[in-house]
Amino acid sequence: SVQVHKEDKPQKLLEMNGHTSAPHSYDYDLIVIGGGSGGLAAAKEAAKYEKKVMVLDFVTPTPLGNSWGLGGTCVNVGCIPKKLMHQAALLGQALKDSRKFGWQFTEEVGHSWMTMAESVQNYIGSLNWGYRVALREKKVTYENAYGEFVGPHTVKATNKRGVEKLYTAERFLIATGERPRYLNIPGDKEYCISSDDLFSLPYCPGKTLVVGASYVALECAGFLAGLGLEVTVMVRSILLRGFDQDIANKIGDYMEEHGINFIRGFVPIKIEQIEEGTPGRLKVIAKSTNGNQIIEGVYNTVLLAIGRDSCTRKIGLEKVGVKINEKTGKIPVNDEEQTNVPYIYAVGDILQDKLELTPVAIQAGRLLVKRLYAGGTTKCDYVNVPTTVFTPLEYGACGYSEETAVEKFGEENIEVYHSHFWPLEWTVPSRDNNKCYAKIICNIQDNERVIGFHVLGPNAGEITQGFAAAIKCGMTKEQLDSTIGIHPVCAEV
Amino acid sequence: MGWEEKQVRGYPEFVQTAQRYHGRPIFALFCGDKDAEGRSWCPDCVTAEPVVRKELHNMPNESVFIYCLVGDRAHWKDPNNEFRKNLKLTAVPTLLKYGTPQKLVEEECFKAELVRMLFTED
Repeated sequence: SVQVHKEDKPQKLLEMNGHTSAPHSYDYDLIVIGGGSGGLAAAKEAAKYEKKVMVLDFVTPTPLGNSWGLGGTCVNVGCIPKKLMHQAALLGQALKDSRKFGWQFTEEVGHSWMTMAESVQNYIGSLNWGYRVALREKKVTYENAYGEFVGPHTVKATNKRGVEKLYTAERFLIATGERPRYLNIPGDKEYCISSDDLFSLPYCPGKTLVVGASYVALECAGFLAGLGLEVTVMVRSILLRGFDQDIANKIGDYMEEHGINFIRGFVPIKIEQIEEGTPGRLKVIAKSTNGNQIIEGVYNTVLLAIGRDSCTRKIGLEKVGVKINEKTGKIPVNDEEQTNVPYIYAVGDILQDKLELTPVAIQAGRLLVKRLYAGGTTKCDYVNVPTTVFTPLEYGACGYSEETAVEKFGEENIEVYHSHFWPLEWTVPSRDNNKCYAKIICNIQDNERVIGFHVLGPNAGEITQGFAAAIKCGMTKEQLDSTIGIHPVCAEV
Repeated sequence: MGWEEKQVRGYPEFVQTAQRYHGRPIFALFCGDKDAEGRSWCPDCVTAEPVVRKELHNMPNESVFIYCLVGDRAHWKDPNNEFRKNLKLTAVPTLLKYGTPQKLVEEECFKAELVRMLFTED
C-alpha cells in the first residue's frame, strides 16, 4: 500500500548543489511527462486554471525507425487508426452484403492498402496539428523532448538533436504510457513489426502472422483479414486474458469460421529473412508450449502483439525516489493518483491495477487537476468502466465477467441471463444467424442488480455505452425488464 | 536563398504554381479578392494578412509563399467551388502548409504565435 504524505507547504525546498532552506520559485507549476491521452487532458485542464504548464512529449523510434507526432498511443498508433481500419474492413463486408440488397456492380471490388493508410495518416496528422494549436492557444508550453528526472523537482529534457535543458516544477505528472513488447528471440527486432509500425506501413503487409492473443492481436488480425489478406494468429495459451472467456472463445470461433487461421499452443523461437522486400518474406520457427514439436511457416509480415511494457524504467524515477513495481514496471498510486513522492503524480496505462483505456486516463487526469488547482474533491471512479473490443464480431462489456462474478459472489448468488440474436441487417444477406450474443450477470443477493453486461455483435460499442450509465445508476434486472425496447435494433434484446 | 512569394488568383493558377515548386516547402494564404482600392471583401483576411506577412521570415530556406485570391464573395460562397471541393478549404482566410494537414483558419491566423508555429514546425 502507498502512504499518503501531506505536501510541505508553503515553503518549497530545492535540495541541490548544497542550497538549503531558501523558498524557491519553480519554472512551472506543473510539468507533464508524456503527451498522450492522460497527459494532454491534464495539461489543458491545468491551463484553464491559469497554471504555468509544460508538456514534454517524445517518441523513441521503433526498432524499424518509425515515429509519430503529439497525441500519444491512442491517436497515433492505437484506438484511432485501429477503429478506422476496422471500419475499412467492415465496409468491405458491407459491399459484399450490398448485392443482396439490390446494389449492382459488375467488377470485383479490390482494396488498396496505400490509399487507406494515407487517409488514416492524414487524419492523424490533423489531430497532431490540432493538439499543437490547442496547447499553444491555451498557453501550455510544449517541447518535443525526452523528459527524465535528474533530482528533486527537476527534469532534464533532451530533444532529438541531443540538446539538453533543465526545468523545475512544483508538481509533476508522469503519463508516459507503454510500448509494445518484443519476444527476445533472434530476428524479432530486425524483421517483425508491432502496432507501432502497422498503421503507417508504407506497403501492404500481405500474408501476415499475428503473434499474440490480446485484443490488439485479435483486432489487427480481424481487420487485416477483412481487407482480404491471408492471416494467421499464433496463440500461446488463451484468448483475451482478463476478458470473459465464454465470449473470448466465441470471438475466436467466429474469426476462425471467417477465414483466419489459428495456431494454438505455440510460440515463435526464431525469425529469419528469406527475401528482402516491401513486404519481404520471413520464415517463422515456432515451438509447442506442450512438448517438443517444432513448426515452420513463411509469411510476408510478422506482427507482434504479445503485450505492452510501461515506459517507467528510463525516466530517472530512482533519482527522485518514486517506487515502481520492479517486475511489471507499473507505478502504484493511491486513489488520488499520487505516487509515494507527494509532489509526483501519475495517470494512464502506467498505473498499477488500473484499466488501460484512453477515457480512463483522460478522466483521471482531469479530476486530478481539478483537485489540485480548483478545489475539486471527486476521485476517478475505476469501477464499471465500459470497454469494447473491435474484433470482426465486436464485443462490448461493462462490469464483471462471468468468471470473476462467480469468484467474487459465488455461483449460487449470481444469475446469468443470455440470448443469441440475429441482427435484422444480417438476415437478407444470409449472414450468421446464431453468432450474436448478449448476456447480463445479476447479483441475486442485491435485488438482482446488474453487475455485468456483455454483448457480441455489430455496433457493440454504441450499445454498451448506454448500459454502462445504467449500471452506474445501479439498474436491477426488473428495471431492465420494464424498459421497453427499441425495435428493430440489436440493443432491444 | 531565403524564400520567395508568388501571387495567384483562382484555383487553376494555384495548382499550377504549387506543382511548379514541388519539392520545396510551400505555404499558402487564401484570401478574398481585393477591390480597386486594394481592400478585400473578407474583413478577417484584412486583419490576417499583415500578421502573416510579418512572420514570413520564419519560413525555412527555399520556401515558397503563395498568396492566393480565391475570387469574389459569390464565388467563394458557392459550395462547389474548387477550393472547397479539392483543397477542402472551409473558410477564408486560411493559411496552410501545402501537402500536410497543418493549417490555420480564420481567427487562428490573427495570432502571430500560431503563424510562427506553422512556419517553423517540422
